[in-house]
Amino acid sequence: MHIPDGFIPISQCIIYWIIALVALYFSVRWASAKLEERQIPLFAVLAAGIFAIQAMNVPILWGTSGHMVGAALIAIIFASPWAAVLLLSIVLILQGLIFGDGGITALGANILNMGIIGGFVGYYLFKGTKSIGEIPAVFIAAWASIFLAAIACAIEMWIAGTFPLDKGLAMMGLYHAVIGIIEGVLTVVIVLAVQSARPDLFSFKDWGKEKAEVLSK
Amino acid sequence: MKSRDKKLLIGGVIIALIIAVLAPFLASSNPDGLESTAEKVMPNPETEPAIESPLPDYTIPGFGKEGEVLALVVGTIVVLIIAYGISAALKAGK
Repeated sequence: MHIPDGFIPISQCIIYWIIALVALYFSVRWASAKLEERQIPLFAVLAAGIFAIQAMNVPILWGTSGHMVGAALIAIIFASPWAAVLLLSIVLILQGLIFGDGGITALGANILNMGIIGGFVGYYLFKGTKSIGEIPAVFIAAWASIFLAAIACAIEMWIAGTFPLDKGLAMMGLYHAVIGIIEGVLTVVIVLAVQSARPDLFSFKDWGKEKAEVLSK
Repeated sequence: MKSRDKKLLIGGVIIALIIAVLAPFLASSNPDGLESTAEKVMPNPETEPAIESPLPDYTIPGFGKEGEVLALVVGTIVVLIIAYGISAALKAGK
């Protein structure tokens, strides 16, 4: 759902840029306060992996395709939506600058949808639903992160005068309800793989606890 | 760097690079959800990019599939280095 240039008037692009820059400021603050040295290799490989997997479009129905975004994954692994904002911003900026995937003028909106909305929906839905079981909670959080990012995108396209509201919401919602299933399945697979490879960096058992609490047990 | 961190980095990069190499051959060329919607509701969904990107749509102009593989491999490594550099520069407890 990378928005290209020309879909949003510049005056509205500026508003999304400001939102993205404020969120980036907070994500930098999060990294300076919470991102530990031992987490850096995982942060870097997940960024590289998300960049690569975003090029792997999977066909869905109706002649359409979609790919994993990864914001819920990052928010869950690092137990913070700001981690998703920071990592997705790095990926989206490089995609926009080097590969023409997502417009430069629309970069703020793309960071808002995929990084901020994706990360916050992913984090808070996982946190709120993990009592029903962590794996279904990861799936629900990842599915909703895509679906709600697409709904936000449809509303932005309507404000921009680019999509009609009813058709935009219906089609963006329908397509991304299906793409969200891909996001959900892959997020569950990757979360479990990280937990089994490096339980010291991520585990359901210690989720959201500070390092000191984990070590003192 | 600890050996298990090295293992994580190398293992993770190998997986990312496998995806990057396969994507040009396996990825669907169907429009994505946003493009698909745009084609159906916009009279003219083709818009011009504001800047020329050096590797448009993950291609190296004139180099076909090999160019796409190379563009994605280079991109994956650049993202790795930049994400590592930024997180190392920002990390807590400096």
